Amino acid sequence: MRRLILAPLLALLAACGASDDRTELVVQRFFGSCQADYGAVNDPTKADGECGIMTALINRFEADNPDIRVVENVVFWPGYDQLTAQLAANGPPDLVTMHSSAISDYEARDLLEPLNPVLAQAGVSPESFTPAARAGVMVGDQVMGLPIDVWAPLWHINMNLFRKAGLVRDGRPILPSSPEEFDAHARQFHERTGKPYLVQVTDKDFAGPMRIFYMYVMQQGGAPFRDARHSNFNSPEGQRALGFMRDLYQQGHSVRNQDYAGAVSTFLKGEGGVLIDGTWMVGQFTAASQREDSALADGYAVRPFPAIFKERNVSLVDGHNWVMPRDERRTQAQREAAARFLRFFADNNFQWARTGHFPAYTSIIESAAWRALPHRSDIAVLTQIGEPLPRFVRRQSPIEFIVGEEASAAFTGQKSVDRALQDMQRRADEILQSF
Amino acid sequence: MSALRRPPPLAVVAVVALAVLMLVPMLWVLILSFKDNTALLADTASAFVPPYTFANYRNIMGEGQVFTWLMNSVIVSLAMTAGVLIVSSLAGYGFARLEFPGRKILFVVVLFGLAIPEQAVIIGRHQIFSALSMHNSYTALVVPGLSMPFGVFLMTQYFRAIPVEIDEAAMLDGASRFRIFWRILLPLTIPAQATLGIFTFFQAWNDYWWPLISATDGQMYTLTVGIAATQVNFAQAEGLGFLMAQAVFAGLPTLIVYLIFQKYIVRAVAGAAGQ
Repeated sequence: MRRLILAPLLALLAACGASDDRTELVVQRFFGSCQADYGAVNDPTKADGECGIMTALINRFEADNPDIRVVENVVFWPGYDQLTAQLAANGPPDLVTMHSSAISDYEARDLLEPLNPVLAQAGVSPESFTPAARAGVMVGDQVMGLPIDVWAPLWHINMNLFRKAGLVRDGRPILPSSPEEFDAHARQFHERTGKPYLVQVTDKDFAGPMRIFYMYVMQQGGAPFRDARHSNFNSPEGQRALGFMRDLYQQGHSVRNQDYAGAVSTFLKGEGGVLIDGTWMVGQFTAASQREDSALADGYAVRPFPAIFKERNVSLVDGHNWVMPRDERRTQAQREAAARFLRFFADNNFQWARTGHFPAYTSIIESAAWRALPHRSDIAVLTQIGEPLPRFVRRQSPIEFIVGEEASAAFTGQKSVDRALQDMQRRADEILQSF
Repeated sequence: MSALRRPPPLAVVAVVALAVLMLVPMLWVLILSFKDNTALLADTASAFVPPYTFANYRNIMGEGQVFTWLMNSVIVSLAMTAGVLIVSSLAGYGFARLEFPGRKILFVVVLFGLAIPEQAVIIGRHQIFSALSMHNSYTALVVPGLSMPFGVFLMTQYFRAIPVEIDEAAMLDGASRFRIFWRILLPLTIPAQATLGIFTFFQAWNDYWWPLISATDGQMYTLTVGIAATQVNFAQAEGLGFLMAQAVFAGLPTLIVYLIFQKYIVRAVAGAAGQ
């Protein structure tokens, strides 16, 4: 009996004591954890959604590279508080997911390692990135990250309501190309369907209003930032953009009192014509359009944000990337492991692109396989006209919150446009001049 | 029970109605936790009609590290509760009963601690633990919580409320100061200890910020940090049922603690209120 108890204990101790000579690669990411569904899946083609595909890709990498032990640290989105704390404690992970808009902040403080040598070792050329992806990770001639994707705000369209409103021609949605046309389409839509044209986030979540405001300013040829220390929101372009957003809302062309979840639900229930949301929702809405009981049944289309102000054909984009925080203790073996990991992600970028995000590589954008995915050919142009916010602006994350908060206050009528723009600029400048 | 002490029926109805009203959000969370995420994404009103599912709870249980995080939370909360009770009792006794130079000033300094928010000290605290290479350890998670000015203040006031004649009588009988503290005064402070213990346990259990930046290794996550990390992006829309199941799962241990110690907790709160 004693042996029966002791034997497993000794085996356990032996296992604990056994040395693991694999190279440890600490990978920190957001996108959630879904071990119950995908913990044992190492074929990315059998996974769906951001979390599922990311988990399966990492499982696959581990299976293909038995000499590397991947320690996967999943963090709550976006994870920058944890990363900053880890950098302060001199214990950063080897690779971290980071938005393109956040790279400048960490790069300016010399907290990121340029990936040029690692990518050269991995055989990944920045020339293979799409222009939008390249703009997201390049600082001068330094490559600060390996792009995972590019994403952008899109117009998700309920074609069933558009048909009813008479806004479909040759099976394609008719989209406005000027503020006046936008107003006319919205009126026509409301008259024929009894519903608002626009579904957008109006409360609590400020990312949506921020992106729309930036988009309208950029479409007018305006620059949201003058230089690294000064924003430029209180400009003629800012006035026109925010005034237009307010007019749409005040004239009843938009839903009201919607947070993010509410706006998505409202669109899925067929309570509005156009939802402004990101690339990540393409898969969900495509799936909904294939269900007979859905308001989107056989009636979903997606398009780039239309050029309402025609001075520039441009679209705001951001992206997810792998970056390598500086760590003097990182060994050559870990660098080599990181190079193989990045190469693996570059090679399997098509699988990630099934999430709805844009691939980061021109070869995939041009491939028949990607264009055969639902709706991708309708939005592919964004990889050419997509433009991130200026690289010289740091602290973009808190500034984005301010821009969204003030824009939301203005178009919902809580503040005048003038006051909101003044406050937006003052608050942003305080941040830009605080370091 | 005499007729005089029986509460009026209207009051009973009002209390029951208020209790139900208070339970509504919790019931809403519970119902949502048994619904499919896709159905909730389309319409949260689907919560009122079947089908219901355990999938969200299965997904939580299927997360390999969830029980590690649960155990971390239990260890940290219990250790912090025990530590706070020991430190606060000793300090409270000292301030209430002992004469030493600077006692009043020191007590004022402790009271100042009540007015200093965690945000004001957290960077300095993080730097200290970084310099000591102590992040990602139970020590780092527990030790900062031991300095609880509220606990010292509460215990000081409680010890002060106990007649000093009790100490004098015990001294006449030859009891040492520690014996008086341990055998006589400390048992009299049980209601305050229970109140402080409950308060500390729940605070430690629910703490998010410090564990977020100190326990950055997934193996050292507490439950609050761990379950937040498992959320997919835009979980409020795409994973609402899972989000609610997480809330139930995270709250369940505290509910169990309450059910087990219900009698003591009610007595403690009633006793503290009567003081």
